[in-house]
Amino acid sequence: MAELVGIYAASHGPLIARDRGRLPDALRQRLSAAYSDLGRRMDGARVDAIVALGPDHWTNFFLDNLPAVCIGIGEEHGGPPEPFMRDFAPNPIPGDPALGRHILETALADGFEPALSYRLRLDHGLCLPLSRMGLPRMPRLVPILINELEPPMLSYRRCLAWGRLLRTAIASYPEPARVAILATGGLSHSIGEPTMGAIDEDFDRRCLDGFAKGDEGPLLDFLEHGAAGAGNGAHEIRNWAVAHGAAGGRGFELIDYIPAPEVYVGCAYAAWA
Amino acid sequence: MRDYWLSKLCFDLQDRERVAEYRRDREAVLARYPLKPEVRAAVLADDVVALARRTNPYLLRYYFAAAGMPDAEFIARLRTSADG
Repeated sequence: MAELVGIYAASHGPLIARDRGRLPDALRQRLSAAYSDLGRRMDGARVDAIVALGPDHWTNFFLDNLPAVCIGIGEEHGGPPEPFMRDFAPNPIPGDPALGRHILETALADGFEPALSYRLRLDHGLCLPLSRMGLPRMPRLVPILINELEPPMLSYRRCLAWGRLLRTAIASYPEPARVAILATGGLSHSIGEPTMGAIDEDFDRRCLDGFAKGDEGPLLDFLEHGAAGAGNGAHEIRNWAVAHGAAGGRGFELIDYIPAPEVYVGCAYAAWA
Repeated sequence: MRDYWLSKLCFDLQDRERVAEYRRDREAVLARYPLKPEVRAAVLADDVVALARRTNPYLLRYYFAAAGMPDAEFIARLRTSADG
């Protein structure tokens, strides 16, 4: 049987890659240390497959067809299209069709209705954390893209339920695989809005405190009412909520929080025990 | 609400070859999109505030990056919508 061996979360942001050479040394080193910490944890957990949660930054989907949740069940996935991610490897990225299909079927049997894709193109949202984590080898990937760019979006309550579903699906997967969940994105940031570049540090710290305390009711209340005011990038905290649900709301450990206006993002890194 | 064809223009300009073409001949590219006259005028005028009301913020940013507007200028223009 498969085993859920780790649950992690990491922010992303194009400028972390694009402007890497121009960032202040202290910031660059602190960001690198946080990603490396996650990479060491994941490598130590001997992960075979990663269920990776992220938004689609208008890479695969458009207003023609915009799934709330899409599970990648292909044998491989395309690498990031952004020029600043051109060195990403491996490209294509190996998928895990059997695990992806199992998660999809478990979801459909349990009242969830995700879309599916046999080949997703994975942008900086997933690929930047994966590349910065410095994994010695890339585990197989089951990407799950959640609409976090164009309202209306999944409720945070539903995200927690998705997390519980992922835990159930991984536990019931009959193959001997060590599986991790990686949530990407958030915390506060604002793109293409009048507040672009602003970071809401108070919101971010309260959000992290909510994950640490773990109480579902107050956390949901805070996210449903507070996240919309923390910039449109804060919608990506939905991925963190899925991870939190998979962890049963327990064991949150903050690795680092780095409010970084240089990259427009309140960057946070965490693991759930 | 989103303006579909404006959003499609922004979406399509994630492609580097299209960006190069757009910078060479904006009118030729715009001719492929059935934009409403007021939207087309806003595009030609680089009217950030008018376009911000009609498309997704991420697509808006992609568009103005493709059009060659520096982030600082884009942000300053966005803030005029918040100021007034």
